[in-house]
This record gives sequence, structure tokens and C-alpha cells, in this order.
Amino acid sequence: MANTAAILVDITKCIGCRSCEQACKQLHGFPMTSEPKLSPTALTVVEDHSEEHSDRFVRRMCMHCQDPACASACLVGALKKTPAGPVTYDGSKCIGCRYCLVACPFSVPRYEWTKLVPFVKKCDLCAARIAKSQPPACVEACPVQASIYGNRDAILEEAQRRILNDPKYVKHIYGSEEAGGTSVFFISDVPFEKLGFAAPPNQPLPLLTASALGDGPTVILVGGAMLSGLYWITQRRALVAQAEAREKSLKERN
Amino acid sequence: MSALGKTAARLPKISFWRTIVALIFAAGAYALYARFALGFQASTHLTDPQPWGLWVGLGTLCGVGLSAGGFAIAASVYLLGFERYRPILRTSVLISFLGYSTVCVGMLYELGLPWRIWHPIVMWNRHSVLFEVSWCVMLYTTVLALEFSPALVEKIPWAGLREFYLRWHHSILIALVLVGTLLSSMHQSFLGGLYLITKGRLDPLWYTPYLTTLFYLSAIPAGLAVTIMAIFLCVRSLNVRVNMNILSDVSRVIAPLLAIYGILRAVDLVNRGATQYLWMWREETGLFWLEIALLVVAPLVLLNLEKVRNTPQLLYWTCALIVMGFMTNRLNVSITALQASSGIYYTPKWTEFAASLATITAAVVAFRFAVIYLDILPKNPPQQQRAMVLTAPAHA
Repeated sequence: MANTAAILVDITKCIGCRSCEQACKQLHGFPMTSEPKLSPTALTVVEDHSEEHSDRFVRRMCMHCQDPACASACLVGALKKTPAGPVTYDGSKCIGCRYCLVACPFSVPRYEWTKLVPFVKKCDLCAARIAKSQPPACVEACPVQASIYGNRDAILEEAQRRILNDPKYVKHIYGSEEAGGTSVFFISDVPFEKLGFAAPPNQPLPLLTASALGDGPTVILVGGAMLSGLYWITQRRALVAQAEAREKSLKERN
Repeated sequence: MSALGKTAARLPKISFWRTIVALIFAAGAYALYARFALGFQASTHLTDPQPWGLWVGLGTLCGVGLSAGGFAIAASVYLLGFERYRPILRTSVLISFLGYSTVCVGMLYELGLPWRIWHPIVMWNRHSVLFEVSWCVMLYTTVLALEFSPALVEKIPWAGLREFYLRWHHSILIALVLVGTLLSSMHQSFLGGLYLITKGRLDPLWYTPYLTTLFYLSAIPAGLAVTIMAIFLCVRSLNVRVNMNILSDVSRVIAPLLAIYGILRAVDLVNRGATQYLWMWREETGLFWLEIALLVVAPLVLLNLEKVRNTPQLLYWTCALIVMGFMTNRLNVSITALQASSGIYYTPKWTEFAASLATITAAVVAFRFAVIYLDILPKNPPQQQRAMVLTAPAHA
């Protein structure tokens, strides 16, 4: 996946103006009131950490994992990692089981709990805009380039360059290893755990279930063979017992 | 008899249990209305950090697990040739069938878009544990319906049709049991597999790559415990005849299974270096010990006593402990052990309890009617009627 979309959020540059939030809400036709947390009508939010850490704001959104847990979890394949980069959601397939909400290591997907016909809501990296070679609405709206958009390799290189050239940065690109790598990256001068970032395992999470699922065919083959074998023995025993009983009764008659 | 007296005789008597059942169904009716006319927010306390609650934890995880008796007994009788369990075979298959039916009904409450419950049949994702679970449950419920069907078919008055069906059924029975055993083994373990993806969020006392094996191993003794409890209740209140030695035989199988489960749990905790969590002062640790005490320690101690194994009443209460321990385990994995990481405290709304309770009660009522009207367990000769027949000639 050399040519896939990615976003870099430089936390040191964000001024907390919420232009990204507004652009996202406008694009989706959501009510324009700002919300404190991700919600079905706020697919990206700017969290205010300015009190604990001077003027630091953290933008939350779907991380668009390289090998997404949600997509592996979805039993009908409504969630998919597209070759262009975005993890998209096809509402027409969804049955509303909400296993994606359980599976996501970043707690991103939201559910429309208040609706009678509820769907899952999450950022799709503006897949439709990307297809038209436009940047995601949130990145386009950022007045200070705290969010930048580009090819994943180039974006990672830029992040690397910034944290190597400036000692103020924490020497880690959040998203480069988390959950096996994502398409949204963060760099920061405040340790990530202090800004409420999740610490998922550094491996693609679908691997965790794949090994169990891989046992399925073995269970069927070995288990099936074993059970058939046991049944054959049971059957054979019954036949032998029958034959012996017949012989015995014949002898007694003679 | 006056006209009023006749009407009163036709109405069901108001007894304690009937009142309870009526109240549960009334509450269940409101829960049904709340869930399907008002939606999740009015009927549940589910939120984004707690997307699965009581309906998954109790309805699906406990429901499927506690229905494991059917496949275990069927496999023992048909595949392993343990003929001594044959008298309780139909009962255990009936329990499982009703259990899985309950799970399927519960699914309709649980799914956000329940009218799309058929989607997994045509929309496949082979990488999803839930996909495998849904297919196994779908197929196994069908297998159970087929396994149980003779009990209904033999009541058909047309001999030709009846014989034809029963002959066909006999020819596929072994295959059915074999497929049923494999399907059960798969989805009982895969239910644990659902939580493999929560690495780093599920409490270390429960998260292990062997969640699948542990779910499978705990489901069998729990399912057998439910079978024992149900048969005991049938004997006590439905006038059926069962040799109680069978129950004691089943309990002899439960004990080693629980012991193996307990040992595996311990070895796994040591291997993962999670023993430090065993002695921490926190809610999770308390719930862990409650689970171990109810599911492993207490039953093993009790089942070791000759008196408990041979006294149906004591055996019944021991099995009740196992079932409670099992439910604690499933609710811990699905709810309490995930709360610390999700950062919220979930208590189910009363309508969640009402919906679950009403569905379970419906299954219990169906079970009762099946035992009364079908040939599930051999019945004692009805005392009253016989007395009437005997006294009839005297009048004449």
C-alpha cells in the first residue's frame, strides 16, 4: 500500500480553533454546536487539554488502521479498509451488532443510541473527496496546518523529520506502531499517555482472532475424524455384544 | 355445580408461581414495547463505551453456554455409546433447543437492525469470529430442531407420514449428532474468541489466548448442571419417573471437567504472569474469586461428598452453584472485566432485566408444556384418573 492517504496531526501546532470540527459537521450536515467527545454527530472533535498542559489541544478521529480490528470484527463486512487508505462503513450491510465498537482499540465508532433505526457513525477520511483528489475537509479547514494530508510514506517521513530536528518533540510517532500501524499520526511535545491516548498492542489486532479462527478447520477435521472413529468403535462393540449373545443362546439351546 | 362455579373451574387457578410468571410477562411486554417502539436509549443503559450489556452477557453468552447439555449428552449416547444416559437424552436436547431459541429471540432485541438478522447468510466475512458464531448458532439451532422433531412428529395421527418421517430421521440421526457436536464445539469456544480482540482492555485475570478453550471447557459442565436441575424439577413437580442414579452419574462427569477447567485456569494465570492480580484489592479481583468459588471450588468440594452425589436435592443446589458461577464468569468477561478500561460503570436498566427474564420464562413455560404433553420423560400413572376408573364400576 504505497500510495495510501494519511493525516499527520502536529499537536504542538494546534491552536484549538475547532475549524476542523466545523468543516466536518458542515460536510455531513450535522448540527453545528461543538461537542466535547466523539458522537454520532461529531466524527472529529478537538479535546481541550490546555489547563493541564499549556495550550495543548488534541484532535480525535478514526485512526484508519492498516489492518483494522473493526473490519475483521464486522460479521457482514460492512467495515472495510479501502486500498486508498480510508476505513469505510457501508450502512446498507450493517445489522447493528456493535461488535465494531467492542473491537476498536481506540474506542472510535459511535452508535446512534437515540434512533429507532440506528447506524454506526465514524470518520471515513472523506473517502469521497479523496477519490476526487481533494484533501479531507478537516485538513483543508485547518488554518495553521496542524493537520496535514498526503501519501502515507511521505507523511511518515515528514513526521520523522520533525521529531528528529526539534528536541521538544516526544520521540515517537503515535500511530506508527499502535495496533500494527494506522493512517492517522500524531506528534506531540507532551507524552501521549498524558493526553489521554490509548495504548493498544503494537500488533494488528485481527491477528489475535485469526489464530483462533484458523483452528476451525482443524477442529472440524480432527474432531470429525475422532468422533467418527469413536462412533465406529461404539457400533462395533454393540455388534460384537449382539453376536456373542446370539452364540451363547445357540449353545444353550444345543 | 352452578354456572359461576363452572366458569371458575375453566379459568386457571391463581397460584404463587402463576402470579410471578404473569408479572414477568407484563414487565416483559413493556420491555418489548420500549425496545422496539422507543429504541435503545429508552430500553437500555448501553452507551458507546459499553456497547454490549446484559443482553449479550446473559442472553447470548450464558444462554448458549448453559444450553451445552444437549450436545454433550447426545454425543455421549450416540457416539460414545453411554446408553445409561439415554433416559435423559430427550430432556437435554429439549433444553438446548429451547435455550438456543431463546438466544435467537434475544438476538432480535440485541441487534440494532433486527430485520436484517439474515444478512450474515449472504454477506460473508470469514475473518470475523462473530460471523463463525452466527453461522454455527444458526446451523446448530436447526440441528437441535431436527434432533428434537420426533417428539412432535410421533404425535401426528397419520401413521404413514409419521413412520416415513421417523425412518428418514433415523437414517440421518448419527450424522446430525456428529455435525451438532462439531458445531457446538466450534461456537462454544468462538464465543470466548470474540473477546480475543480486546487485548489490553479486558482485565488480565480473564484475557488469555486460551479464552476459546476455557469457554468450551466451562460450557460442558454448566450445560450438564442445567440438565440435572431441570430433571430434578420435573421429578419434583411434573410427576415424571426418572432413576435418580442417572443424575448422580452425570455429576460424576461434571466434577473432573470442573477440575480440569480449574487447573487450566491456574496454569494459564501462572504462565502469563498474571498472579499478581490475584491478591489486589479491587472489584475485579473480588469478582474473580466469587467466580472461582462458585464455579470450581464449592462444586468440587460438594461433589466429592458421597451424600451430595446421592441426594437429588443437594445435587440440585450444587448444580445451581455451578450455573451461578458460570454466569458470573460470562458476565465478568463481557461486562465487569472491561469496565476499568472503558471508564464507565454500567448497570443494566430494569427493562433489560425484564426482557431477558421474560424470554427465559417463556422458554421455561414451553419446557413445562413439552414435558406435560409430549413424551419427554416417562410419566407416572396419573393417580386421580386411575382412582376414578376403579371406582366407576361400583357406582354402576
